[in-house]
Amino acid sequence: MAYSELIKDFGRIRDYMRQFYVYGFKSRMDYTTKSARSYDNERRRIESWLGDYMSFRQDGSGKNVYLSVDSRSIASNPLYQAFKAKSFTNGDITFHFFVMDLLQGGEAYSAAEITELIASRYIAEFDGAEPLDESSVRKKLREYTELGLLTCEKRGRENVYRRSGEDIHPETWRDAVDFYAEEDPLGVIGSYLRDRTPHGTETPFGFKHHYILHALDSQILADILAAMQENRAIDICVVSHRGSKGPKEHTVYPDKVFVSTQSGRQYLLCYHYQFKKPMFFRIDGIQTVKPGAVEQSPKFAEYCARYREHLWGVSPGIGFNIDHVEMDVHVGDDEGYIIDRLEREKRCGRVEVIAEHTCRFSADVYDASEMLPWLRTFIGRIVRLECSDKSVTERFYKDLDEMLRLYGGESDAVP
Amino acid sequence: MLFHEIYGRYFAVVSEILTEAAAGTLTDAKMTELVREKAFAESTLTIPAALKNGIWPLLRPDNSTVLEHAPTMPLTTLERRWLKALLSDPRIALFAPDAAGLEDVEPLYPQDAFVYYDRYSDGDPFEDPEYQQVFRMILTAIHEKRRLRIRFKSGRGRRQSWICIPVRLEYSSKDDKFRLISFSSRNPLTINLGRIRICQLLDPYTEEEFRPKAPRRKKLTLELTDERNALERVMLHFSHFEKSTEKLDELRYRLTVTYEQEDETELLIRVLSFGPVLRVIEPESFIKLVRQRLDVQNRLRAQN
Repeated sequence: MAYSELIKDFGRIRDYMRQFYVYGFKSRMDYTTKSARSYDNERRRIESWLGDYMSFRQDGSGKNVYLSVDSRSIASNPLYQAFKAKSFTNGDITFHFFVMDLLQGGEAYSAAEITELIASRYIAEFDGAEPLDESSVRKKLREYTELGLLTCEKRGRENVYRRSGEDIHPETWRDAVDFYAEEDPLGVIGSYLRDRTPHGTETPFGFKHHYILHALDSQILADILAAMQENRAIDICVVSHRGSKGPKEHTVYPDKVFVSTQSGRQYLLCYHYQFKKPMFFRIDGIQTVKPGAVEQSPKFAEYCARYREHLWGVSPGIGFNIDHVEMDVHVGDDEGYIIDRLEREKRCGRVEVIAEHTCRFSADVYDASEMLPWLRTFIGRIVRLECSDKSVTERFYKDLDEMLRLYGGESDAVP
Repeated sequence: MLFHEIYGRYFAVVSEILTEAAAGTLTDAKMTELVREKAFAESTLTIPAALKNGIWPLLRPDNSTVLEHAPTMPLTTLERRWLKALLSDPRIALFAPDAAGLEDVEPLYPQDAFVYYDRYSDGDPFEDPEYQQVFRMILTAIHEKRRLRIRFKSGRGRRQSWICIPVRLEYSSKDDKFRLISFSSRNPLTINLGRIRICQLLDPYTEEEFRPKAPRRKKLTLELTDERNALERVMLHFSHFEKSTEKLDELRYRLTVTYEQEDETELLIRVLSFGPVLRVIEPESFIKLVRQRLDVQNRLRAQN
């Protein structure tokens, strides 16, 4: 099949874009899951969509292609481009413009009338142009009704189609759409709306700590949210990014989507029917979502709500045991901002001033080891660190020793 | 369905071409320019040919269109449902859009479907009318290209007044705060919106006067050891920066991150959070900052 910059299936390109964006050190030889030709085609497509953000480097392993984006300086998430590259047939595009034009005055026609009018009003002018056949028109009319572009009503025994109303005032939404197109987890929809406005990509907004990779998971997220709206279970097919394990199927009840504002990762919190417990799945590891049965009982949502009370992040630890953590932090004169920092970052923890220059943070969480990265951000201030799971404090101090060794600290680490 | 051709670049560009054609202003050169600007790099090979050769029978040979109107498209159900979902977000109060037409629309998702579990809890007061007024005033100044006088409390509690040219409103999802990025005749000025008390619209500025000061950018080189899934964690964590990565051997990678000077302290604690799997290689000044914190921590540990 001839190469095209457009694609029919989003799944394959999703993985390549992720690899180019997240890693950026891989050469053609490192992409082993598909053929070299497949790699060449996908790379060419991504270059076609995102040329301004593509970079190349040559090293011993070959030419490395990567996406480099300073997301603080962009007006729009460039990864949305992939969603705007869906392939279509010649009939699809001509039908679109003909039917929107034909019904613009508010008329309603049947499928047979639309087929005839398209042929006589538009296509007749072109010698040799193939008219659209009625069954294709009928199929497209149903599709456009599902999309919400048309409404279908009865005229006697036949269905007639009309353009949907344009009763929304898009000009009053302009700034909101500019903002949420970048900030909302399904901002790609806002990006579609922005494409329709004359001001294009010009925006009064910028974004700091702006993670853009989640855009590639938008369809999966939309499918999960649709099931949540209907209280439906879902069948998900999951691939782990860590190992080489193949895809696994799970039947779960979706409860919440956990979003990290500090890594951009999104997780599905759900109740797992087979394992009979709440679990997290990374959304970027979910390949497909199939809607299942409607869940009548609210017990799974209640179960997940109780579970959320002792989560620091997205790890349940082992056996749902609760770890107690205490960290005493030194606060110098005029360093009230440290207390403010603890307060705003404490999540399910507690903060109390225990002495003139000491503040205590404490928390009861399922997995205290998940707190280690955050605890390390207080290095230089930690007066005391205790955890009911001793391996957590051991890991903290072992890492500290290793860092002292790496950076050649002023003295040897205390054993 | 999110992934559909009606949302695609090709449909959008053809719509713009047909709009020009309906207005009688379309030329071959204009068509190529629109495709080059609005579609993908290789679209110039496909879109003009399909329109000119009658494969898509929408344009006559003289570049007029067979359509009777300039093309338009109603909002799809997906787009309406998304807009409806936004109406439940507290930040929507800043924009006050007209919700007419969405009365009977089901939101795409409820706001409580999402848990932003590591977002800081002292976000801006989006529902405060004074805050909203400041926000809208700044937005107006940006749109109308006008100067602003702002009065605010500095970090040390001192009252200040500045006349500035606003550049953009910058939002951080982690901080849940907006900041005004602006500049005055002498200096760049970045300030949290929550600190601004009074905001006043002044006269318009000229294009020549709009010379935003570029922030001071620095480079940080890190060496990463891929233990405990560090490679993926680090790459994702720093993915919002302009960066490049090089594989040194099976376990080690070199990562160069470009950052703004004012974010150095924040970057320092983010590097520390990864522990020994992430080591600063250069600059020396940054290494000193890390070493300083480690040494203080080591002394605290010895004392207790």
